[in-house]
Parts: sequence; C-alpha cells; structure tokens
Amino acid sequence: MIRNSGQKDVLTTLEGVNLRVKEGEVLGLLGPNGAGKSTLIKILCTLILPTEGKAYVNGYDVVKEGQKTRSSIGFITTDERSFYWRLSGRENLQFFATLHNLSPSQVRSKVEELLDVVHLKNRADEPFLNYSAGMKQRMAIARGLLNDPSVLFMDEPTRSLDPGAAKSLRDFIKEHIVAERGKTVFISTHQLDEAEQLCDTIAILDDGRIKAQGSPDELKSGLEANSTLCDVFSFYTGKSFDEDGVSHVPFAIPRRKKRGYGLGMKRKGY
Amino acid sequence: MAFEKAFWFIKRGYLLQMSYKFDFFLRMFFMLFNILTYYFIAKMMGDAAAKYLEPYGGDYFSFVLIGMAFSGYLMISLRSFSESVRDEQMMGTMEAMLVTPTNTSSIIALSSLWSFIFASIRVLLYLVIGIFLGVNMTHANVFGALVILILTIICFSSIGILSASFIMVFKRGDPINMLLMSSSELFGGVLFPIEVFPDWLQSISHILPITYAVNGMRHALLQGYTLTSLAPDILTLLLFTIILLPLSLFIFEKSVLKVKAEGGLVQY
Repeated sequence: MIRNSGQKDVLTTLEGVNLRVKEGEVLGLLGPNGAGKSTLIKILCTLILPTEGKAYVNGYDVVKEGQKTRSSIGFITTDERSFYWRLSGRENLQFFATLHNLSPSQVRSKVEELLDVVHLKNRADEPFLNYSAGMKQRMAIARGLLNDPSVLFMDEPTRSLDPGAAKSLRDFIKEHIVAERGKTVFISTHQLDEAEQLCDTIAILDDGRIKAQGSPDELKSGLEANSTLCDVFSFYTGKSFDEDGVSHVPFAIPRRKKRGYGLGMKRKGY
Repeated sequence: MAFEKAFWFIKRGYLLQMSYKFDFFLRMFFMLFNILTYYFIAKMMGDAAAKYLEPYGGDYFSFVLIGMAFSGYLMISLRSFSESVRDEQMMGTMEAMLVTPTNTSSIIALSSLWSFIFASIRVLLYLVIGIFLGVNMTHANVFGALVILILTIICFSSIGILSASFIMVFKRGDPINMLLMSSSELFGGVLFPIEVFPDWLQSISHILPITYAVNGMRHALLQGYTLTSLAPDILTLLLFTIILLPLSLFIFEKSVLKVKAEGGLVQY
C-alpha cells in the first residue's frame, strides 16, 4: 500500500493506492497524463520517497531497503535521452551492467546475451545516436534486463513509437519477457489496446487514486456487452478517455455523450 | 567492484571527451597561450617583485605556474560534482543510474573522476612546459608534494560536495562555488603572493584552503622543503579536511533525501 498524502507544492499526489501484484503477472496501470502513474512507478523504483505509507517490491521495503529493492528490479523508461548518445549501444549496456554490480565476465556475457535477445548484436558497436526510436526502446529493454530482475517496471514503453514498432514491442514483451522469462511486469500506459493485449490485471488510476482493479474481463463484467476499456474508464472515473492521454469531463465533448449514459458510461440493466 | 565501476566511469568520461576531439585539443592548445602570457609577464617584471617572491624562491614565473596549475584542482573540485549532477540531469541519464544498486553518493563521486584525471593531465603539462621554460624543480620533494596534493583534492572535493548539494536542492545559484572561486583567485595567492596585501586583507587569505595548498606545493616543488618544514601547510589542510569532509557528506546525504522526497533528483 502506498499513501502519499497531499502537501503543498507536490505536483502529483497518490492517495489510498493499494495494489498487490502476483508473481509472473502483468499489471497495467491505466490512466491519463497526470494521473500519477509515473510517480507511482518512481516510488516503487526508489527514485521518489513516499511521504507516508508502505510499499514493498519483492518483499523489500522501498524506503528502508532501497538498495535491495533496486537489485531486484528493472526499470524501462521511454526517455531515449537516458543513454549516452555518443557511446555505442554495447558500451552503454556495459556501463550500466557495471552499476548493477556485475563482474567483468558477467558484464561481457550478459551484454552479449541481451544484444542477441533484442536483435541488436549487429548494430551494437554503432553510436547510440544512430539508432531508430524502436532500436532505442529495445536497448532500454535490454538495459532493464541486465540484472535479471524479478520485476520489471515499464513507464509507457511504446509512447514514442509508431504503430508498427509499438506492436512489435508489445509482442516482444509478451513472448520474451513474460512467456519465456516469466517476469512480473508493472506497466503504465494510456494505450487502451496495449493494456488489453498485455495485462492480466488492470488498475485504473485517476487523480492519484486507484478507481478499479481487475482483469479486463472482470472490469467489463458489470457493463454492457461489447464494452471497451474506454467505457470501463468512464464508468469508474466519470470521465471520458482519449488515447493521447488526456481525460475529459465528458459533457465538454458532445460526441462522447452518445456512447453511453450520463457521464459517458455504459452499464448493464439501464 | 569499486575498481570496475571507477574504470567504467573513467572510460565513459574519456570516450565522451574524445568524441569532441577538437574541443579537447583546442583546450590543450590555449593552455599553452596562458602559460606563455605569464612567462613574458615574468620576463618583463624581472627582479621588481623579488621582495615579495623571496619566500617562494624569487622567480615570478615559477611562482605563478604552480599557482595556476594547482588552482585548477580547486576549480575542478568546486565544479565537477555539481556539474556531474547537472550534466546527468540534463542528458537524462541520472534516473537510469539511480535505479541501479549503486548508491547516489558513489554515482556522483565516480562521475567526477574523469574531471580530476583531466585536471591532473593539465597540471602535468603545466609542469612539463614550465620545466622547458626554465622552472627549476631539481630539488623537488615529490613525496611532500603528493601528500599536499592528496589533502588538497580531498579538502577541495569536500567543498565541491557542498556545492553539489546546493545544486541538487536549488538547481541554480550555488553561493559556495561563486564565493570560493572569486575569493580564492583574489586572496588565495594564486597569481601573486599574499604578502602584497595589507595585514587585514591577509587575514582573509588565511581562512582559505587554497592559500595553504599552493603555498605548500610551491615550497615542496620549487624549494624542496622537508615534510617537517611543510608541516604547517599540511596540518592546516588536514584540519580543513577533517571539518569539511564529514560536514559535506552529511549535508549531501540530507540533500539527496530532500530531493528524493520532492521527486526533484532528476529535474534541472
């Protein structure tokens, strides 16, 4: 449970966040921009200290056992600036692998293994700045796997990718990271189809609060047949949802009204 | 593991520096201009300042060369920690490093390693060029100079860590850096002996660590003072270090906790 109560000058406040993620599960954190998704992930990755509450990752307290927490997790950010652009892909991975306390021989073997996994072995000695957006994102995944973490945090991993590259990345996550390696994945997204395709469980986060949590089918079960996650979001938050990550109070957008009742929601029995 | 990490931080710094080769060679080239400027000033002065320079061997060029070379460490110490914080924040690489098991203090310290190596290369070049231009270091007490150098780096780095703490919390406007840099250049005996000042101004020089660093280094390298003769400078630098190092580490840890709580560690 994480409770980060509001205080002055805090941009994002999380409150009453109570999540439990099972081993080997893919949990999707679905919410618009500013909902608190990144803040929650950063707290769990020990990058931000919560002002109140408790959070455990792999059984480690993220505040008191920061180093142990970090040893057991991987963090995949969408920020392609998070690499040294003038170093090669291989040098970047070797550098970060050393920060994960791998010995020189482990660094060599792990980096080669991961370059192979993300299909970048033949481009590994080129400067990072030559890579396409998709390649940069695959490098970010390789970096996230350097310490063979049990839990992987991904903050909007497909945000800067075109639809083709995004699909290929989703397939990669599903096949290689989840099915093959059995990692527990905590993924934040505002792409509804991405959440539906990848996640066993979805938590809807809005205004720093978890509004609902369950499998996609469970979340839709109380709504009309053929309801989408967009409808689920509207039902639980009272807002409509755009995939560009902006949530609206639905009456501000007339076209959304015809999709449901009242605040743009559908519900069985109406 | 610390060695491997240090190696990779140095390698990273070297590779990034060498990816801007022209800048690297340009900086080295203009360093020569700087040395030559003071060489000819010294030639013009002749024995005019002999009265003030007598405690340092009597030669202005030797005096100023040591001052310029080793004041570079002050500049690097003051800037490198805060600049490494800021550079990593701006490049966007800070977050990726902080999510590894390597702790924040080690990351900041290791990020500055290349700057110190680069500064040492510069100092070495200063000394080599100086020797070619007639600076006499035949009686140098190299061991004594190394003791002073190590204390100088630790002492200056402590001030640099304080400066980095300010940068982390306030992002810009670090008063320590501004105050120390300008006062050290004027009062620290870098370009001229502090004996030139009236007594009341000399008291400012005596509270600055750089005064003892360049003074001790001149005595060790130019006049070959023994460790006993160097003791006043060494002990004063040691005293500064004993006070400043734990203080700076304490303030740094507090600053890291503060910005982590505010979520501002990766912002600039």
